[in-house]
Amino acid sequence: MEIVQILAFGILMGGVYALLSSGVTLIFGVLDVVNVAQGSFLVFSALLTWQIWDLTGIEPLLLIPVMGALMAFFGWIIYRGLVKRVVPQGPGMTVLLMFGVAIAMEGILNIAFGNKFKSVTPPYFTQSLQIGELVLPYPQLISGVMAAIVLVGLFFYLKLSWAGRALRASAQNKDGAALVGISSIKASSLAFAIGAMTAGVGGVLLIIMYPIYPATQYDWIAKLLGIIVLGGMGSIPGAVIASMILGISEAFAQAYIPQWSAAIFFGVILVVLLFRPEGLLGEKTREDVTT
Amino acid sequence: MDTCGDTIRIGISLPLTGDFSQPGGEAKKGYEVWQTLINGNGGLLGRQVELVILDDASSQEQVVTDYNNLISQEQVPLLLGTFSSLLNFPASTVAENNQMVLIAPAGGSPKIFEPEPKFYFFAQQATGPNQANPFVQMVTSLPEDQRPKTAAYVTMDDPFAAPVIESMQAQLEEAGIETVYSEIYPEGTTNLQPFAAKIASAAPDLIAQGAVFEDGVSLTKSLVQIGYNPSLLFQTSAPSNGAQYVEGVGAGNENGIFYAVSWSEKSPTPGNAEFVAEYQAQNGEGLVPAEDAADAYAAAEVLAAAVEATGGCDNVAMADWLHSNPVSTILGDLSWDEIGRPQGEFLLAQWQNGSVEIVAPPAASTNGGAVIVPKPAWQ
Repeated sequence: MEIVQILAFGILMGGVYALLSSGVTLIFGVLDVVNVAQGSFLVFSALLTWQIWDLTGIEPLLLIPVMGALMAFFGWIIYRGLVKRVVPQGPGMTVLLMFGVAIAMEGILNIAFGNKFKSVTPPYFTQSLQIGELVLPYPQLISGVMAAIVLVGLFFYLKLSWAGRALRASAQNKDGAALVGISSIKASSLAFAIGAMTAGVGGVLLIIMYPIYPATQYDWIAKLLGIIVLGGMGSIPGAVIASMILGISEAFAQAYIPQWSAAIFFGVILVVLLFRPEGLLGEKTREDVTT
Repeated sequence: MDTCGDTIRIGISLPLTGDFSQPGGEAKKGYEVWQTLINGNGGLLGRQVELVILDDASSQEQVVTDYNNLISQEQVPLLLGTFSSLLNFPASTVAENNQMVLIAPAGGSPKIFEPEPKFYFFAQQATGPNQANPFVQMVTSLPEDQRPKTAAYVTMDDPFAAPVIESMQAQLEEAGIETVYSEIYPEGTTNLQPFAAKIASAAPDLIAQGAVFEDGVSLTKSLVQIGYNPSLLFQTSAPSNGAQYVEGVGAGNENGIFYAVSWSEKSPTPGNAEFVAEYQAQNGEGLVPAEDAADAYAAAEVLAAAVEATGGCDNVAMADWLHSNPVSTILGDLSWDEIGRPQGEFLLAQWQNGSVEIVAPPAASTNGGAVIVPKPAWQ
């Protein structure tokens, strides 16, 4: 039973990882931008959720669409105002830019919300669904379900809608997409907005599960980057599979070889990349070298 | 004029951003409250005090750069310590190399004292492993029917938290309490659900955790979620974060949890009431100062005492004086051995029905030493 319980914890954690990493990998897929500020986007959404909940006592889950929309708008502004101007300078400069955004946001959040841990505590935040001996904490369960809903919604949006198809086309071949009338700027803005939206949703769920303060961004961004590398940069299904693998392996490592749990998390990534450098579902890339 | 200068400048590096920014920010408040009060009372040696505070971003590399800059570029005559053993360890090597006294508000890991520093002083009552002592004494003095038979130990691989739990485990095993679970997890671990499941399977009477903050909240919350309530629960550091901890674990679930602490707002120590009043004036009425702010304030009191006693900023003379004289602070009287290890005992605190009570030692107790055992049910 203990193994089933730990497996359940791992799957639920994997669901949360999947939601949080999907935005990072989508942005990379379309823009070739590694959004290292996604952790600070998450924390921004989480702290805003706390502020609204603290002032109004509103059920925090009702804020998911609000924070999703708000962060999508925020992401759109960041792209249009900053990222778009730096993209032509190459991936190195965009990483530096987003790192700067993350640091600046941490400072602003410190001033705006104070340098203290905040928690959102609806009545169910310490309760669990009990199925026989199996315990499924509601915050993780709700987060896992919400992650599944958002990811399935994202999947169908990308698969079936015109905008989604435009995004995928732009991700596969920007020049080709432009030839058939897809604006690279509009596609990139949309991708960045959707990526930030997942952070908006994730932030609401995160602050119900964990205490958050501005520097919490560092805890998350390293893991999220590891997940998208394992899944294959730019592949949302890859990020989901990688999230599940890492969530489950981390839970078992914590239960049975806890001192090695951090090493296991990144060790799994290392081993997979040895055999599949492009990640689980990533496409093989070739870089032409001129002499 | 001596080396202090017209205005006495004190160099400090603090983790104002990064992983330790929360306690670092509190330490800054503590130092600033001290600065306000000492300047308002005529200054140090009759001169105004200026704090030169740099942000080390919770980085061991940056803290070394900061203290080197404070000494060589800013040429400050005095230093105060940063926050956590992790950062004070490299900071102490810079201070030693420059023969400058470094009074640290946090940094009681035994590793810091292994090089036998001459200029480093830890401004709390005892080093890390001794944090366990008051709780061990309380447990071993419980009536036979309340005394735990089994215990689980889990700790972050943190230079301050881990020695506390290792020391507690050794002492309680010697007292005949069987260890049924003992694990160390890496720094940065914030999800303790798998640990809670393993601990619940082992069904210990007592759980002791070497926690920082998020990990402490996570273990408590996970135990609530899986419905396992031990008779005794001890955590380092996390429960001392007051409202942040209570909010994190859910109001009422903190009831009965023990922790070792260096300071209490109710303590009748000299200057404590003034510290609390000024802290509230600067940061908000009714706000209880964090322990980290009080520790920083006490570190500054120690530095001031050494300056006053030696009549200047001769750091060698100050170090010699501190090695052989006690200092009265808001934490109580502090004294140090020849390598800067404090020689006192921590206080044992317990959350009791919504407030914190100091339950040991008897002289510092705020409630006559009454403890709640076994721990009440989760809310």
